[in-house]
Amino acid sequence: MGCDSCSSGSCSNNDKSGLPPGMLQKYKLSIDRSDGFLVWIETERGPDGEPMMCQHCKELLGKIREMDAGNSRVWGVVFGHQELKPLYKEIYSYGVETLYEVHDKALSIYHPEAYAENIAQIVIRTEPAVILFGATPRGRELAPRVAALLDAGLTADCTGLELNDRELLMTRPAFGGNVMATIRCTTFPQIATVRPGTFPVPEPVGDKRGTVIYWQNASCTLKDILSSEIKETAGEDISRAKVLISLGAGVKKESIPVAESLARKLGGTVSCSRKLVEKGWFGQARQVGQSGKSVAPEIYLAFGISGAIQHLAGIGSAKKIIAINTDADAKISEVADEIIVGDANRILKELERML
Amino acid sequence: MRYVVAVKQVPDTTLIDVDENGNMKRAGVPSILDPYSEQALEVALSLKTDGDTVTVVTMGPPQAESALRKCLENGADEAYLLTDRAFAGADVHATARTLAAFVEKFVDDASLLLFGKQAADGDTAQVPSEVAQMLGREQFCYCVKVSKEDGFTAVQDYGDEIRKCRVPEGSVLSVSEGDVNRRLPSIARYIEASHIEIKKLDRIALGLGAYSVGMNGSRTKIVKSVNVRSEHRGTVVDGSDPVKAAEHIRGMF
Repeated sequence: MGCDSCSSGSCSNNDKSGLPPGMLQKYKLSIDRSDGFLVWIETERGPDGEPMMCQHCKELLGKIREMDAGNSRVWGVVFGHQELKPLYKEIYSYGVETLYEVHDKALSIYHPEAYAENIAQIVIRTEPAVILFGATPRGRELAPRVAALLDAGLTADCTGLELNDRELLMTRPAFGGNVMATIRCTTFPQIATVRPGTFPVPEPVGDKRGTVIYWQNASCTLKDILSSEIKETAGEDISRAKVLISLGAGVKKESIPVAESLARKLGGTVSCSRKLVEKGWFGQARQVGQSGKSVAPEIYLAFGISGAIQHLAGIGSAKKIIAINTDADAKISEVADEIIVGDANRILKELERML
Repeated sequence: MRYVVAVKQVPDTTLIDVDENGNMKRAGVPSILDPYSEQALEVALSLKTDGDTVTVVTMGPPQAESALRKCLENGADEAYLLTDRAFAGADVHATARTLAAFVEKFVDDASLLLFGKQAADGDTAQVPSEVAQMLGREQFCYCVKVSKEDGFTAVQDYGDEIRKCRVPEGSVLSVSEGDVNRRLPSIARYIEASHIEIKKLDRIALGLGAYSVGMNGSRTKIVKSVNVRSEHRGTVVDGSDPVKAAEHIRGMF
């Protein structure tokens, strides 16, 4: 079949899409060029102020390796200066092959506009099929800005990724966790933010090597920051805990120290449901669920948690869920591996004494 | 000065229940002004002084008028409803495109554009940043405090960092849960608000092509949605004796 869009036969548009000549190429709708993955490597300050690679980036890189089995290229983008050098080895060990470092002292500090402009330019250079961000406050601010720059589709706060050739199927809870919606982008690149704690942290490969490319910062939009203070996040990060002692409305206030002590003995952390945050017993950093954090512990001990759908949305990645509840028919029984019917407060106390 | 607040009408998520199949029971659930939008409106009203205008805008079906009416009662001065059949099924990209077109065409002189941090139903929190980029303006997300001293300043809460920035005029702000003092509107205000006309704008009025908005202008597509409520049930263990139950749990470690 010839070209319908011109009669002279001078254009070489042989595809059957019926689009004006050149459009498919210009917008990269069907050509096989967009390939590979690009990940924003978010950094955080370590105990001595040195930059550290955020845990969720490792999770993302691990998931990419699992989906793709190492066929496509993996790029990383990191912002900063000299201080990033000690991180290179670690970043490579999780699977980044080529690391673009936007080399500018001013960008050691997060500036959404400048970050977005640089990421978009690197995307135009590298043409990845997939761009991934952690669904952290900064990632969720940055990803839409990048998406708008590239005129690309974006799925927020995914809890599942699946690769079908180069097409990414993204799953996220919708309607308060009642429904899991699977979404795909209709154009390349496909952009997603992924909830931290959704995927397991992979084992690093120690001797993996990569290349770093210094990228000249081409943006001059910097925020006028008047002051910035680092907030101490009280307690440990629940999204990384291996054992979680989670407390709900069925637990008395006296049981909190017992739970804390039990958590110490088991090498775990105490988390809670939304109800206890509302009561003011815990800060929001400890909350599990849709409006709190997603967790992925080996064992999740739910004491006195009935299991509202929003809460269940946050524990989908837990390996083993044990619910201790007076009501055997509580909603949490739908996801729990075992439901122990009894008084959560007394069992908690006994268990703490026993260990 | 003109403050523009983008609001959303959402089903009252606290009242949503599911039937035995896990489907949402939508019927009978009232639609309300999104609580996060209300926060953004409150911030705009707190900044407003004599001679300033607070404009509210929403994209939605004709019924969304009631959310705008609520905003007017709370103290907004004018309201725009972006409504068109072609807007249906819009994802983040198409929504942002529509709102950005509205800002460019009708309220380009806005001093600040305010959004709620997220919507209670969708939870994506992506629209403000996309609008900011499409308009080429700076963005300030998760604002817990916005004040006007020498120009505007905003305090942002990034979870691990509290940042205070100078905000250039015309910036896009998303307002996170913060301290807002709510005043109940007076009867006089109710009557006054009921006389304000809500201006309706469709796709043509915004100068947008049919392929820029709604489902056609979207860059994402829902492939399938699955009810996650399963019939799965864990093993039930008798825990009436706390000692035995505790021993049972200990055995797992």
